[in-house]
Amino acid sequence: MGTKQMRTNAVDSKMALKFNTSLGAYWIALLRIITGWWLLHAGLGKLLTDGLSYSYGPIFMKGLEGTSVGPLAVWMGENLAFLIEPGVPVLQTLIGLGLIFGVLTRLAAVGGVFFMTFFWIGGDFTHGIVTGELLGLFLFTALIVFAAGRHYGLAPYIESTEFVKNNPRLRYLLG
Amino acid sequence: MPLNEMDTIDRAAILAGTGLMLFGTVVLGLIEMLAGEPYSPAALTNEAGEVIATPLIDPNIRTGLVVLGILILALWSVYKLLAVDIETGETQTAEQAAD
Repeated sequence: MGTKQMRTNAVDSKMALKFNTSLGAYWIALLRIITGWWLLHAGLGKLLTDGLSYSYGPIFMKGLEGTSVGPLAVWMGENLAFLIEPGVPVLQTLIGLGLIFGVLTRLAAVGGVFFMTFFWIGGDFTHGIVTGELLGLFLFTALIVFAAGRHYGLAPYIESTEFVKNNPRLRYLLG
Repeated sequence: MPLNEMDTIDRAAILAGTGLMLFGTVVLGLIEMLAGEPYSPAALTNEAGEVIATPLIDPNIRTGLVVLGILILALWSVYKLLAVDIETGETQTAEQAAD
């Protein structure tokens, strides 16, 4: 099982731990799939309940008035309702599928960050500012940083195609 | 790539983005705790629904700092996507060390 030294303290190199890369990759894949199911469940639930007319989406956005993203959110709620109503369930479903299968993982995770930012700010801070939504946001950023799609996902197979080889910047979105 | 091997733009973006996130959550959260009730960014109400304690720091300031941090990291990601030479992994605008 592959291991490598991971320095945990830049000042004192003696403070290092054995980082098991195989277990680390497996765990990142686990996080990716669980996070994917989180979004897939949310998206499919909305699709099965409201179809492509998720009318609560624009209402939620307009309800963010007075928050730090208020101007943008209210404008979106008032002017982009025709996109938000079908977009929320469809995009949540696609993000979930992308994460579960490791396809366009980073792009999907960017979408997750976008959703979670609004969900977090629209949430309840009674028990502090670090809520489940903020932790979800950081989970998505972790999937971006660790290129989670490359661990037990389809990204390595897609990245080996001629199309991606001819357009190497796509690797930033696929990984 | 270790942080101390990154170029100035990379280091500045990462430290500014994550620094704002930490400041908005942890540092201002600690100040909120030390300031007394309500100990959280939400106003405290009694059973009658009357507000009896309000947060010292407006939660919009704290969430705004975190969102600003996210935006900085997002802009840095776009910069990396556009500026990095895919083949070498080096930022095209960075000067190469002559060693």
